[in-house]
Amino acid sequence: MTKIPENPAERLMFEISKPGRRCVTFPALDVPEVDVDVALKGVKLRSEPARLPEIGELDLVRHFKNLADKNYSVDKNFYPLGSCTMKYNPKINVTLLAQPGYTKAHPYLPEADVQGHLELMYNLEHYLCEVSGLDEVTLQPAAGAHGELTGVMCIKAYFEDKGEADQRTEILIPSAAHGTNPATAAMAGFKAVTLKEAANGNIDIEELKKKVGPQTAGMMITNPSTLGILEPKMREIAEILHGVGAQLYMDGANMNAISGIVQPGDYGIDVMHFNLHKTFSVPHGGGGPGAGPIAVRKHLAPYLPTPRVKKNDDGSFSFDYNRPKTVGKVRSFFGNFGALVMAYIYMTQLGREGVRRMSQNAVLGANYIRVMLRDYYHVHHDRTNAHEVVFTDLKQDKENGVHTLDIAKRLIDYGIHPMTVYFPLPQNTGGQGAMMVEPTETESKESIDYFIDCMKKIAQECKDNPELVKTAPHTTPVSKVDEKTASTNPQLYCAMCLG
Amino acid sequence: MPFIQNTDEDRKAMLDAIGVASIDELYSDIPADIRVKEDGDKIRLNPSMGELEVTRHIDALLKKTRNANDFAFFRGAGIYNHHVSTLTDHIALYDGNFITAYTPYQPECSQGTLTTVFEFQSCTTALTGFEVSNAGMYDGASALAEAVMMGYRLTADKFRKETRETVVLAGAIHPEYAGTVKTYCETTGLKLVTVGAGPDGRVDADALKQAMSREVAVVAVQSPNFFGVIEDVESLVATTHENEANIVQVIAEPVSLSLLQTPAEAGVDICVGEGQAIGNHMFMGGPAFGFFASRKENVRKMPGRIVSETTDRDGRRAFALALATREQHIRREKATSNICTNQALCALRALIQLAAWGKGGFLELGKQIISKTQYARQTFGAIMGVELLYAESPVFNEFVIRTKAGLDKALQAQGIMGGIPLEDICMGEPGDYLIAITELTTKADIDSYASALADLLQTSDHGGKE
Repeated sequence: MTKIPENPAERLMFEISKPGRRCVTFPALDVPEVDVDVALKGVKLRSEPARLPEIGELDLVRHFKNLADKNYSVDKNFYPLGSCTMKYNPKINVTLLAQPGYTKAHPYLPEADVQGHLELMYNLEHYLCEVSGLDEVTLQPAAGAHGELTGVMCIKAYFEDKGEADQRTEILIPSAAHGTNPATAAMAGFKAVTLKEAANGNIDIEELKKKVGPQTAGMMITNPSTLGILEPKMREIAEILHGVGAQLYMDGANMNAISGIVQPGDYGIDVMHFNLHKTFSVPHGGGGPGAGPIAVRKHLAPYLPTPRVKKNDDGSFSFDYNRPKTVGKVRSFFGNFGALVMAYIYMTQLGREGVRRMSQNAVLGANYIRVMLRDYYHVHHDRTNAHEVVFTDLKQDKENGVHTLDIAKRLIDYGIHPMTVYFPLPQNTGGQGAMMVEPTETESKESIDYFIDCMKKIAQECKDNPELVKTAPHTTPVSKVDEKTASTNPQLYCAMCLG
Repeated sequence: MPFIQNTDEDRKAMLDAIGVASIDELYSDIPADIRVKEDGDKIRLNPSMGELEVTRHIDALLKKTRNANDFAFFRGAGIYNHHVSTLTDHIALYDGNFITAYTPYQPECSQGTLTTVFEFQSCTTALTGFEVSNAGMYDGASALAEAVMMGYRLTADKFRKETRETVVLAGAIHPEYAGTVKTYCETTGLKLVTVGAGPDGRVDADALKQAMSREVAVVAVQSPNFFGVIEDVESLVATTHENEANIVQVIAEPVSLSLLQTPAEAGVDICVGEGQAIGNHMFMGGPAFGFFASRKENVRKMPGRIVSETTDRDGRRAFALALATREQHIRREKATSNICTNQALCALRALIQLAAWGKGGFLELGKQIISKTQYARQTFGAIMGVELLYAESPVFNEFVIRTKAGLDKALQAQGIMGGIPLEDICMGEPGDYLIAITELTTKADIDSYASALADLLQTSDHGGKE
């Protein structure tokens, strides 16, 4: 255990606590005060009050302000975290959301009192149908992985309906896929079968043909792939899957590259999810909340979770719970509605033209970075890429013994959040550490150029002074953190919280 | 274009550097015949809107709604109309360094988020009594489903030679939670058995005993339960443990932990719950977050992100994500869950709110709610034509009344959003209402609801209408 820091601003909230302090006070009780023991008819009570901190208001504000300032964030820093789409989060999203009409909306209000909310959900479903080119959408999944699970559940229910569930036990997943794909398949009771990519990073059609069969329930494909490459043979892949009666799931994590450019439905996919916190600018919030709606083709629509939003003949909206083939509930109520509102506000502002320009500018920026840095870092697939580009540490490793993690940490010293590192996994990047860079369309050329300059400087530092890079970061509130001990000897709560 | 800063000149410079004439060339991997045309109308979205138009549009949508502020409000069932401190909104919504940061994978530039997650876990420990908890789940319903899966794994791993694949949902569990557990069980092939509530609103103890067998892996119970009744958790634990199964307690109103015995003290194996009540707005039911806690020895079976204290190279205290080998990005198909993005900002809100209440405030909050709930229960119990269901059982913040059905609209016309009609959600008979109380419920609210209901009952009796 480390010592309690001298500066109160550096302490945990429990360490600045003092009996008798508090922020919120309540109005005097306006009903007779009861004896808790009597009122609760002798049920057992906790042996002591919960050991929450006792803090005054200024100290509370200062505590969180000091913590916030230790974070890098999109508002403060270029944040080219690949596959996460760290774009600008317009302030209007939060301002419009923080109105009582939303904050005080209860899920068990009568439908007549939430018509505006139902209309928003209905409109958002329509937008996502248009962007996906698919027929129906549910907004319920809380995040991308939750959308994956919901989509795969729909596939499973579809085969159960057809009497093929016992036969179709496998889901094909490219080896470079995000870890949520195999985890989802396993969670839904399928065997995750790995597909090796071709040397150029695309799907290996021959490998696919070998592994696909009557046992295949479906394939989960990320397009553009996690290597930042558009899959040119999407239609052929869909045909192969459909040829054996299987379904094609598209992981839409990378929709920031192709929204408004192509409707994935035209590829022949059957179901996909969106990450509204990536593509449509719901703030990431330090890890969530997001929203992971899924869009499906008509034949999968009966299986979507309940309730669905329905427009009635008189123009009113209602919830439809009467869906006999539904997979059921995947979470409570209607999804992360507050997050949906923010995505809706964003999409409404973009409109048709804006969605298209979003993708175009994202792809432009990522290709620009690839070209500008190709002489300094190894590009894993040096060809036209989509909205992100994967470099590796091949050069720096071989020539200077400097690795991806070191380069990432050194970027922090230049005021830039590191790119995604070691994803895709080394097995997908020739054994080298990946550096996946996604600038997003909301960054100016000046910010991108500054990043390029910093990366060039770091490449030079790797040659001139590798120790400087390997011991980075040098400018942060803490130096390199011992992450290993965090796992081998986890300490998960402040000792002051438990008797 | 909205939010894009680059000018035509910038784009031209970037295209020149890349060596292509147009952005279209960068999309050559998409077959031309399915590429959306620049000026076509294939994708039917509105023309782009500026700040003024979108504000006007959202205002128009909101005009078609009413919310808890428009009524004396008595609806809960897992989403409660508590006061949310202005501190919580200011810090969580308007400090860009929290709301626009990503998952804290790079600890050196994420100590803010990591420290708050550690503090959040510490508060979960303080509330539940458990040594381990995570950074949060999507909501109470999915947290319960994940806890059931974890409870199943714990039992199955311990008794490998037996087939223990039955899940027992015991008593009045929130229908949204039970429905979610059902979906997860169907997908994973676990058998689901439900044990109903007895006449006192609590788990039917005899039926539970009968449902227990060596096939049962995990029992799930809600306390306070969906009807507001506080379960005898200790006896349910005993029944479950006699059978060498695991028991999960789900909590829809975490403010009840201000006073009630902690799940750890009661001996449950995993405690989960819906965190909305603490610092999160209602938002039609989300986003809020699920909390998840258990005993120390179960930490490697837990789903979700976990933060641990550690040190930096110079020996200073630091925090980092821990035990990632449980998670999907490392373990892939062998992970404890597929969860990745969670509800971090909502958990941060809960942390701020708990700190703003503080130890004394949280206790006072619980006591105020109990006093107000007792007052409301007595007030309704005294109305001719209103019966208190489960009147002899202890409740914390919610209770069920049975009265004449169909008076909801008349009450709403008087500015009263009465309890949830349980018939509508298949949890009761016509005329059963689940009434929720928070610190925002005033004596005047309760009195006006009670007297309006009494008047309506009297009028309808005199009118002879059914």
